[in-house]
Amino acid sequence: MAPPRRPPPLIDDAIAEILVRLPPHEPEHLFRAALVCKPWLRVLCDPGFRRRYRAFHGAPPLLGLLHRRQVVEGPPAARFASTTKMPDFPFPGRSDRLGRARPLDCRHGRVLVHMLRERNRDYLVWDPITGDRHDLPAPDIDWFIYTAAVFCAAHGCDHLDCHGGPFRVVFVATDDREEIVKATVYSSETGVWTAPVALDDSCECYARHMRDVLADGHHYMPYVQPRRGAVVGDEVYFTLRRGNEIINYNLREDSLSMINPPSHTAHEIALMVMDDSSLGFACIECCSLYLWSMKVNSKGAAEWVQRRVIKLEAIKPAVEPVREASVVGSAEGVGVIFISTDAGLFTVDLKSEKVRKVDEPEVYFSVLPYMSFYTPGIVLALACLFLSFIFFTSAVCLLNVMVLVCE
Amino acid sequence: MASAGSGDEKAAAAAMITLISSDNEKFEVTEATATLSQTIRHMIEDGCTDGGVPLPNVTSKILARVIEYCKKHATAAAGEEGSSSSFSDAAFLEVDRAFLEELEEFDDAFLEVDRATLFDLILAANYLDIKGLLNLTCQKVADSVKGKTPEQIREMYNIVNDLTPEEEAEIRRETQWAFE
Repeated sequence: MAPPRRPPPLIDDAIAEILVRLPPHEPEHLFRAALVCKPWLRVLCDPGFRRRYRAFHGAPPLLGLLHRRQVVEGPPAARFASTTKMPDFPFPGRSDRLGRARPLDCRHGRVLVHMLRERNRDYLVWDPITGDRHDLPAPDIDWFIYTAAVFCAAHGCDHLDCHGGPFRVVFVATDDREEIVKATVYSSETGVWTAPVALDDSCECYARHMRDVLADGHHYMPYVQPRRGAVVGDEVYFTLRRGNEIINYNLREDSLSMINPPSHTAHEIALMVMDDSSLGFACIECCSLYLWSMKVNSKGAAEWVQRRVIKLEAIKPAVEPVREASVVGSAEGVGVIFISTDAGLFTVDLKSEKVRKVDEPEVYFSVLPYMSFYTPGIVLALACLFLSFIFFTSAVCLLNVMVLVCE
Repeated sequence: MASAGSGDEKAAAAAMITLISSDNEKFEVTEATATLSQTIRHMIEDGCTDGGVPLPNVTSKILARVIEYCKKHATAAAGEEGSSSSFSDAAFLEVDRAFLEELEEFDDAFLEVDRATLFDLILAANYLDIKGLLNLTCQKVADSVKGKTPEQIREMYNIVNDLTPEEEAEIRRETQWAFE
């Protein structure tokens, strides 16, 4: 029998068509492909390939995790865990017990870190893929407890792969002396924080909430939870202790307001961005995962609509033990909810209802999901440059030798 | 080789296009089949198909397979369009599902080819700009590459390693984790 015919060589376009179909949540395949031959390496390192790759796949995949805890739970381990075959990312900032940096948010390819006890820098916005670092001064709020959100501010950006563009940081805190909630915004373009604005009783919902607490004879202090917020258009949402009341900072109006969460009893919840770009609220009650979304009714008032109820026992493989399961975060774009149990940290894919273990058991309060495309282009472009430099210098040396020999 | 679709009365009534392979074989196909290729669609729009469309990059063996794919998918598209008016919603969904299942089975069987033919089909689909066929064939190769070492990929697809040992070492050093 004749040996099988050998496949013909492919043109670059066809190579790109194949490689673009390798899955982004398993970046190792692209890196192995880079070592096949020069044409494959050339295709992968071309900036056009990255553009094509992200257009083909849409939302960037989950690559890593940081997390925040409540003050009483103590700081989490200084670890930036990888959720793929890649090794863990380096932990941003100091990792010793006294000066451990505190990651506050991950969004749009950036990580926001509070650099505790470091000289000359207070906050850092870091891009783990490009290594880009941007130092921020401290906001002008005497905070008692705080949270913050970083997000891309490039006009018209689809946020699928935003690196290096302008960004904003919204910082929301309980003021230590005045015992009120304040917010301020940092712009990477101006390099300054805005004058803080406060949440006051001109917000009817907040006034009522305060009256109810005071009527019970308690001292009232609005306590901002160290939980990741949700960014929906011009609105940034965070939560207050104890009933997970929602604080809304409006970027356009530079104002704070409060909205009531849907009726729930769970302590652990996550705010999220729903598929239709509305604000979502997720929690586990009675062994079921509840998803709500906020809709504005015909009278212009916001109301919560229950969107999904997923019985944890029904999803496969089962989240064990169901009794201890709690919601500790969400990852927008990829449509997953993070659930923590005694057995570990899991993602529940809302589309397929499939569960995947992403980390070991720990005390989790709020997961900060790091999402980005990771292609050989960025990593190997430098290596390729280095190699072409070596090639160029050795060629020049060889030429010199030849000239000398000729002479 | 018999002209593709020449026995079909309906097809005969429709406008026909002649495709000419690199080895000078002529294939007569309906416009609906031919225009699954964006390249040919543009040629028809520009009125440059009189006397046949020469395809110097595609052999008769591969062109026959490509036409087989286009005919099946053009029929399916026409069936979907025609069915919407004559069925109730439920019946329409049923027909729709049946169509999709049949197409999937066809695609699976279509991909049962050796690696050389698979690469030929990719090159033809890329040249003729047939989105569905390009997606089908490239996904098959991408799936086969997943989890393989660079050596295994080269072996599978007859690719010569033209990286210098220095380049290979440098890339491995930068991305060691991917090979563990």
